[in-house]
Amino acid sequence: MLKSKLRYFLFHLIVGGFGILLLYPVIWLLISSFKVSEDIFVTVGSLIPSPFTFDNYTQGWEGFGGNSFGVFIKNTLIFVIFMLIGHLISCSLIAFGFARLKFFGRGFWFAIMIASLMLPYEVVMIPQYVIFSKLGWLNSLAPLVVPAYFGHPFFIFLLVQFIRTIPRELDEAAIIDGCSTFGVYRRIILPLITPALATTAIFTFYWTWDNLLGPVLYLNSPNKYTVSMALNMFLSNDSVSNWGAMFAMSIVTLIPVFGIFFLFQRYVVEGISTSGIKG
Amino acid sequence: MSSNINNEVVTPLNLGKRKNINNKIRDNLWGYFFIGPFIIGFLSFTIIPIIASLYFSFTSYDLFSEPRWIGLENYKKMFTDDPRYIHSLKITFIYVFGGVPLRLAFALIVAMLLNVASRAVGLYRTLYYLPSLIGGSVAVAIMWRNIFGDIGIINLAITGLGLDAVRWFGDPTAALWMLIFLSVWQFGSSMLIFLAGLKSIPKSLYEAASVDGANFVQKFIKITLPMLSPIILFNTIMQVISAFMTFVPAFIISKGTGGPLDGTLLYSLYLFKQAFEFFSMGYASAMAWVMLIIIAILTSIIFLTAKYWVHYESEGGR
Amino acid sequence: MNRISIIFLGFIMVLFLAACNSNNTSTGSSDDGLSVNETNGDNGEEQITLRMAWWGEQTRHEYTNKVIEMYEEQHPNINIEPEYASWDDYWKKLAPQAAANELPDIIQMDLIYLTQYAKNKQLTDLTPYIGNELNVDNIADNVVSGGELNDSLYGFNLGTVAMSWDYDPAILEEIGVNSIPENWTWDDYMDIAKKAKDAGYYIDGGLWEDPFRYYLRSKGERLFAEDGKGLGYSDDQLFVDYWTMAKELVDMGAVQSPDELAQQSGPEDSAQAKGEAAGVFEWATMFIGTQKVVDRPMELSPPPGPNVDKGLYLKPSMFFSVSENSEHKKAAAEFIDFFVNDIEANKLILGDRGVPASSKVKEALMDHVSESQGKVFEYMSWVEQNSSTLGAPDPEKSGQVIESLVNIADQIKYGEITPTEGAETFRNQAESILKN
Repeated sequence: MLKSKLRYFLFHLIVGGFGILLLYPVIWLLISSFKVSEDIFVTVGSLIPSPFTFDNYTQGWEGFGGNSFGVFIKNTLIFVIFMLIGHLISCSLIAFGFARLKFFGRGFWFAIMIASLMLPYEVVMIPQYVIFSKLGWLNSLAPLVVPAYFGHPFFIFLLVQFIRTIPRELDEAAIIDGCSTFGVYRRIILPLITPALATTAIFTFYWTWDNLLGPVLYLNSPNKYTVSMALNMFLSNDSVSNWGAMFAMSIVTLIPVFGIFFLFQRYVVEGISTSGIKG
Repeated sequence: MSSNINNEVVTPLNLGKRKNINNKIRDNLWGYFFIGPFIIGFLSFTIIPIIASLYFSFTSYDLFSEPRWIGLENYKKMFTDDPRYIHSLKITFIYVFGGVPLRLAFALIVAMLLNVASRAVGLYRTLYYLPSLIGGSVAVAIMWRNIFGDIGIINLAITGLGLDAVRWFGDPTAALWMLIFLSVWQFGSSMLIFLAGLKSIPKSLYEAASVDGANFVQKFIKITLPMLSPIILFNTIMQVISAFMTFVPAFIISKGTGGPLDGTLLYSLYLFKQAFEFFSMGYASAMAWVMLIIIAILTSIIFLTAKYWVHYESEGGR
Repeated sequence: MNRISIIFLGFIMVLFLAACNSNNTSTGSSDDGLSVNETNGDNGEEQITLRMAWWGEQTRHEYTNKVIEMYEEQHPNINIEPEYASWDDYWKKLAPQAAANELPDIIQMDLIYLTQYAKNKQLTDLTPYIGNELNVDNIADNVVSGGELNDSLYGFNLGTVAMSWDYDPAILEEIGVNSIPENWTWDDYMDIAKKAKDAGYYIDGGLWEDPFRYYLRSKGERLFAEDGKGLGYSDDQLFVDYWTMAKELVDMGAVQSPDELAQQSGPEDSAQAKGEAAGVFEWATMFIGTQKVVDRPMELSPPPGPNVDKGLYLKPSMFFSVSENSEHKKAAAEFIDFFVNDIEANKLILGDRGVPASSKVKEALMDHVSESQGKVFEYMSWVEQNSSTLGAPDPEKSGQVIESLVNIADQIKYGEITPTEGAETFRNQAESILKN
């Protein structure tokens, strides 16, 4: 009894203490957002803002040229939702195909998929931009979200690896019970890869949230800008940047991502137990 | 698995053959039905740009005028006439082989620590993940610069120990390591995938091992590692690929210069400079294809070794 | 399974909401740049939409939008769609737009990219509009010609800047220099540097590549040859002299060491801001920002001579260019004219895009600008009388050459190579970049 209490205490001491160490930079960011812009770099080591100011938040929230930060957050949320739907549906379908079905050219397409991850975006973006401009998709979300409905190699590969850890006997039992191939995907595999799907959702959420280059390339009207673009607009190349406001808005934009993670991480770790199927 | 089906299907030989062919066609149809979206997307949005970039790599192309065919000139220049290229290749290798193992080990350890059922752990998981959520915004760069700055906490700690303060951004080697620390600090995504993998391991295996009197290390080696191996494979490959292509941290931390003395001029940053600052898209494309070949070789090696260490439950333990 | 279904349902609901929403906002997509030709019933004037792009930060976006509003009120048939971003993002946007022939009608352009974009007719020649749509009565010829390239005008100059040495008189006094000697020279500068060092101060942030260009000009040479095919100076001794001086300052401890400099995040934690340095070499318009972070009275001085007037030149701070694919070049030129010459508009702009090109505007603004801006205006008026012409703009590959110069200068300051080695390496690299 005593031993387990000691272990409990030690666990929280180590994990909690280490967590605070890791979080120091985030805490620094949070506290700096309450400092006067000019003080941020002068009082780097200090974790007490003096004077304490909320101005950075009000100033930052105003945004630019009549578009408040709320507009940018709304735009980003819409962007994220389209991406989430696209990735969750398409990647799980494609991953099931690669992981469970035997068909001609499977290895070939799989290799192509992995290889397409290896070419830096910088060199394909110009031709891709020309394609999307020919399609008349510029200044809209289409070039950013439509490809999501055709899968993303990272998530496909992730889901493939998870599906491959599931014993095949389960599929076969379902087929004997009269399930079609699609039924196996829908009734057996999908519930069992909940943790991986939740992971996909979390990653999609914050990668989209964070995506800078895509929106920069394809969104022209400021009222369509996303938060990552808006954050950069506090910076100045030839005069003084508004660091305070940028830090403040960084914190604000962190809140939705943080919330989503907190909600979804449960599914990452609880997936198996809710499905009720043991190993 | 095959024994299962054979038991069910007891038919005359020739009928079985036809059925096999039908099955094959059906399997192919189902296969292409499922991966169809990928193929369509690939053919409509990805293949043309990829081929275009391959073509550009044999040309002199400045984005504004027509590409001019120059054969292997770009590739030749890279290895014979561009010391900055060789340098950036070198530091990228240091970045990859220094950062990826650290990051993975760190992520796995933390994932195992947090893989316990406790109410507080959900909070811990979120807190540990927080650094990764901040992502690649400029705020991270400024934050990192200040923490490693002259009067930042790291140097306060170092001088507190009676050592000399380190000019993290002033020394090329230190600056590269600072980038590596940043990538290790943002270990959250690997951790999350490990967590999901750990949760997929059936508890019954551990219970059985406990009954047999296995200790923690034995369980880790006999159960955790093999059962987690597909996920380890995934994380290793993805981390290697993404580490090679790291751009944002190097760009924002060095304010786009790759300095000091090119200490943080990672491959992608140099490629970006060539493409959009020097307008040498041809050269940048050639760099990209060399990188693709390097990554492809490395990942193929990892995939080939996978046979010996990755355990797939669905394939009878192979 | 149930939970997944619920999540999915939730997504789909939000999707519908989002779809309705985005329908409202996504009017007018890629074809914005093309003409929207609707005849306006009232006066028969053509309804014109112009896309206008610029880089900047919060304040610039605010006032530029106001200027646009003001213009749209006066010209009801013109609709200007702004597209703005930060400096880094701006250039990432512009390159693919150029490649896809989708450039906005009015583009804010910087000197370092002008040659690149002007080549191959991405930008239109503004010469035909000069004196017609574009009124240049109050603008000096050498200011207008700042955007010239091979006898064509690809950018309309919005303002000018010049190199200056901005200093804190109180610190100078403390180190025993009551004022900067008139017509001071590099010898005086080194003397002051020694005094600063002895009094525990830095003289400034160190010598860098832009003052080097000033230095070369003051010796009657230029960094780039007129034809852009090589370096403009033939005697490497000039390179050696200047960078030896830079290295001496570092060794002496009179300027920040390069590693200390690299450690800084921005002007906010520079040696000037922290009150550790007497001055800084910078472009005069940066004085306003420096003054803001330093927060003690500062002054501008010309850089050390001799031959200050040969060395100084009016550098175009930024341009407005009109893209070749624009369907409304004339309307674009009219707007640029408004932006440059309208006094009310400039009372909003307040010299943010460089000291106004038009002398009339500058006069009218004198009473409206802040104290530090007034000092900059004053200094620039002095420079106008004491400078030489800009000369041919930088060649297409100049960016790469400057980067190589910066790297070599760093290596010299870090002591990795000697100035003599640096001079040779720089010449080799620059010439191999420029020759093709």
